[in-house]
Amino acid sequence: MTSVRSAPVTIDAFGLTDRGKVRKDNEDHFLVADIHRSVNLLCGSLSADALINRVGTTDALLLVVADGVGGGPDGDLASERSAAAVLSYVGGAAFCFNGLDVAGEHHLLGDLEESIQGVHQQLLKEAGGPRVKAPATTLTMVLLVWPRAYFVHVGDSRAYVRRRGQVQALTRDQTFGEYMVSAGAWSEEQAMRSRTAETLASAIGGSELTPNVGLIDLEPGDSLMLCTDGLTKHVSNERIEEVLGLTLNARAMVEQLVGEALDAGGTDNVSVIVARGVA
Amino acid sequence: MIQKKICMVGVFATGKTCLVQRFVHSIFSPRYLSTVGVKIDRKEIPVRGEPVTLLLWDLEGRDGTRDVNPSYIRGAHGLIFVVDGTRRETFEQAFEIRDAVTGQVGSVPCAFALNKADLADEWKLTKADEESVMARGLYGVRTSAKTGEGVEETFKWLAEATHQSTGA
Repeated sequence: MTSVRSAPVTIDAFGLTDRGKVRKDNEDHFLVADIHRSVNLLCGSLSADALINRVGTTDALLLVVADGVGGGPDGDLASERSAAAVLSYVGGAAFCFNGLDVAGEHHLLGDLEESIQGVHQQLLKEAGGPRVKAPATTLTMVLLVWPRAYFVHVGDSRAYVRRRGQVQALTRDQTFGEYMVSAGAWSEEQAMRSRTAETLASAIGGSELTPNVGLIDLEPGDSLMLCTDGLTKHVSNERIEEVLGLTLNARAMVEQLVGEALDAGGTDNVSVIVARGVA
Repeated sequence: MIQKKICMVGVFATGKTCLVQRFVHSIFSPRYLSTVGVKIDRKEIPVRGEPVTLLLWDLEGRDGTRDVNPSYIRGAHGLIFVVDGTRRETFEQAFEIRDAVTGQVGSVPCAFALNKADLADEWKLTKADEESVMARGLYGVRTSAKTGEGVEETFKWLAEATHQSTGA
């Protein structure tokens, strides 16, 4: 569990992954990392005014879930490397979180996308080119620099925000079925019946990669949840909304949700992260 | 590299996301899914022979109880106010939003996209309404994310105007 103090709120965050009850391996990876850049001033003669904006910590919280594609080669490798690449970029770029201007925000989001593109190209290259099936993965990440949560999303893992009792999806599944429904070519029912509906239309290491990028300013009391589809296959949006509304800490919420996914069959690897802004 | 932040602003369900999807990806989805927070897309277009990247901030639609988040608008080079031509109230509301956000971004080029022009039978805006946009010194054009009418034109006009207003 991590608790990041970021005035005026404390972020209570926790994540968990489970192999599930059917799969032999766990190809999911997740991480919850708080990013600090600090100067520990041992002594000096500068006034307090001079120290403001020069000394202190720049706190950011990085949340990542990645679901390696099963049925292909090394899905766990793809998900691990993708999560690690994002962590590596964010860890190395911590300096730029402090007082980001508009150009800085675009730079940050562009670089996050590039770090994902970098892993994608590397996976394809190692597999022997774009026509060979490479290790592939989804990735959903949030970089929280309070109050702003930047997100980048690929595939069918999900990010949700809970605000004033209502849970809303920040991401849209990048699946063939979702695209067909969006285009009006299929009804929701047709998508549910189709075998190809769950095929990823965008994945790191896949034949297409089209990251979605966005942001949201959080308010004290808001919660974020990231998960792989091992949760949403078994636990309804309504139930997720109920659990995120309980008076529990992040750890208890995550354990509750993962437990319910397992109780309902646990047919897939499941990973869940919850981050709560506690006033 | 020249980058311009363009914000799509308006009340809910006026078609902001659809206009961006049409412009960037040449697709139209008839299904309504409300935007939460901001979705960011980008597209590079030539302006006076120079490549300009438009960073399109598709803001969640304003509803009755919540104003546009001023921090989303910060640093915008241009704004597109999106009106649902089949809901006349969204026309007035777009001007209200404009009045509210102009103080935050200053005098930047603004376009009014009078959207859903394909729904001719349900169109609620009069010719006088449409002329009043121009009379206020704003760029106004009928758009349809479904057919593509006016979409390229609006974004290209704004790209040109922002390029001109900043000299780069």
